[in-house]
Amino acid sequence: MKNTCLHDHVASRLASEIRWQYGEVPHGIAGVHVPPGFRCIADGCFLLRCESGYGYLYEPGRGITIERPPNADPDEEILWLNGSVYAGVACLNGFLPFHASAVAHEGRVFAFTGPAGAGKSTLAAGLGRFGFPLFCDDTLLVDLSIADQVLAMPGHKRLKLREDALAMTGATAVQPVGAETGKHYAEPLAGSIAQSLPFDTLVFLREGPELTWEPITGAARFAMLEDDHHTQEIYAEAVRPTLAEQFSMRARLAGQLRMARLVRPRSTAGFEASLAFVADRIREDAA
Amino acid sequence: MILTKATGHFTETEIDDEIVVMSLESGDFFSLTGTAKAIWLALDAGLDRHGLIAHLVGEFGAAPNAIGPDVDTFLEQLRGAGLLASR
Repeated sequence: MKNTCLHDHVASRLASEIRWQYGEVPHGIAGVHVPPGFRCIADGCFLLRCESGYGYLYEPGRGITIERPPNADPDEEILWLNGSVYAGVACLNGFLPFHASAVAHEGRVFAFTGPAGAGKSTLAAGLGRFGFPLFCDDTLLVDLSIADQVLAMPGHKRLKLREDALAMTGATAVQPVGAETGKHYAEPLAGSIAQSLPFDTLVFLREGPELTWEPITGAARFAMLEDDHHTQEIYAEAVRPTLAEQFSMRARLAGQLRMARLVRPRSTAGFEASLAFVADRIREDAA
Repeated sequence: MILTKATGHFTETEIDDEIVVMSLESGDFFSLTGTAKAIWLALDAGLDRHGLIAHLVGEFGAAPNAIGPDVDTFLEQLRGAGLLASR
């Protein structure tokens, strides 16, 4: 109960910090000019200037200010807000982001990570066909404020899937994301989870001819955490941890998370086979 | 000459049965298992080279002549990585 209360406090602080309003956004912070297409994190603030003219400024205690360009595209606006801006604000408030999509089972979180196009969203959404509710899509925030537990925050992004992925996962298309993305916002078949839960397993997606699930043990768990370069860059910019602090955090994650490597063929048939296979592994691990 | 870890120049953690050591100068990681792990742990005992080899002979039952070269090689690797000191 104590842990839950502490986490609720942390989560509500993030919710407060992520609130936003429209207004003017400067072209620099802390004496640093930020040209279009660049971001800067300094003095606890986050500034992003997009090439389209969008600007985002986060200031602690004041939330996010969004500057809209002429002919603003609301789809682009939400993509930046839920992407780099959210990740930056989360890092500045002590959360660690993983580039992962996740499902929940028996009150615990099972996340899938891999490079763009690895099939994270499709796999997590497809597990809805086996009764696993979606926990998050694309970004998984982790709260490390409780020493003996790694807590995962429920997703803030709406599930986005391409046409073919909609058919493969059984998810329901709600509306197009944007004309150029070819994706739709979607509702997963088994619904989604809106409460923080303990983070159980991080699964690394790999492509290969044979379907295998290999638990990762020992120092390899430590090394695998280097895979997630994009989110680690934002975390490093926001928190500026020393080498010893980075080591300590990775040692903690390697010690407290289970990890596995899922190798699967990238084909429709391979996807079908991997769904049942992964569902079984998750049920076995949770038992 | 007593062999010791280069305190303040590294940080370490144990994951399952392995020890991961990171050099605070370079940020390089080293995963230590088996004999390497045993040597690393024995460096806390304040032994010289002969004492270290005698300790490993007792632990692994190998002949001193057989393991001496391997111990020397590993100690050199540790020294090269800035993880070994002596006094």
